Amino acid sequence: MAVAIAVRVRFFARLREQSGTEIEALQVPPGATLEDVYDVLRRKHPALEGERKAVRGAINQELSDWSAVVADGDEVAFIPPVSGGH
Amino acid sequence: MRYDVTTGPIDAHELEAVVTHPGAGAICTFSGIVRDNSRGQSVTHLDYEAYAEMAVPQMRKIGDEIKQRWPAARVAMAHRTGKLEIGEVSVVVSVSCPHRHEAFEACRWGIDRLKESVPIWKKEHAADGTYWIEGDEAKPATG
Repeated sequence: MAVAIAVRVRFFARLREQSGTEIEALQVPPGATLEDVYDVLRRKHPALEGERKAVRGAINQELSDWSAVVADGDEVAFIPPVSGGH
Repeated sequence: MRYDVTTGPIDAHELEAVVTHPGAGAICTFSGIVRDNSRGQSVTHLDYEAYAEMAVPQMRKIGDEIKQRWPAARVAMAHRTGKLEIGEVSVVVSVSCPHRHEAFEACRWGIDRLKESVPIWKKEHAADGTYWIEGDEAKPATG
């Protein structure tokens, strides 16, 4: 059994500025959820948004719940709400 | 059908050429333009940033939904990214239908869905600072 899985993390817009990076490779334990991945990233990048309602997670370009489990090789993205406008 | 995220200028006529056909009696085209003011402040320019690998499939999904609701519709959408000056076109949605009523409805539905669900973000460079626009909120930029 694998001791860690590798995911590729991408940040966009305000979250990209807060993390100071566009893309990073991350290892997380098997069974890690999007929430677990974000918690690891928040420890690495303390300026990252702490209000969960202001962040959405996507796995392989699909918006996903915080409880979704990531798999080895996944592209995980954290994105702010979109622009909206009237 | 055509769905683009592009750094170059958008030509609305090109999108209209994609949706036009002999059975289409109406083409409705929405163009979003960079405005010189926001939240009561003057705006100098905008930066748009996209998650392109997710934005284009999401635009295609909206186009498919339009065709489910208005089966005769043909759809083209383009959104620009990068630095945009006042007066430049940021987004175009063009829809053709047999008649004007459904063309107006489908085009409006398309731009509204695009604005609420396609992962593209706007950074406003304004007189009072630089802000990311997230829904109804303007949050200070740090980059």
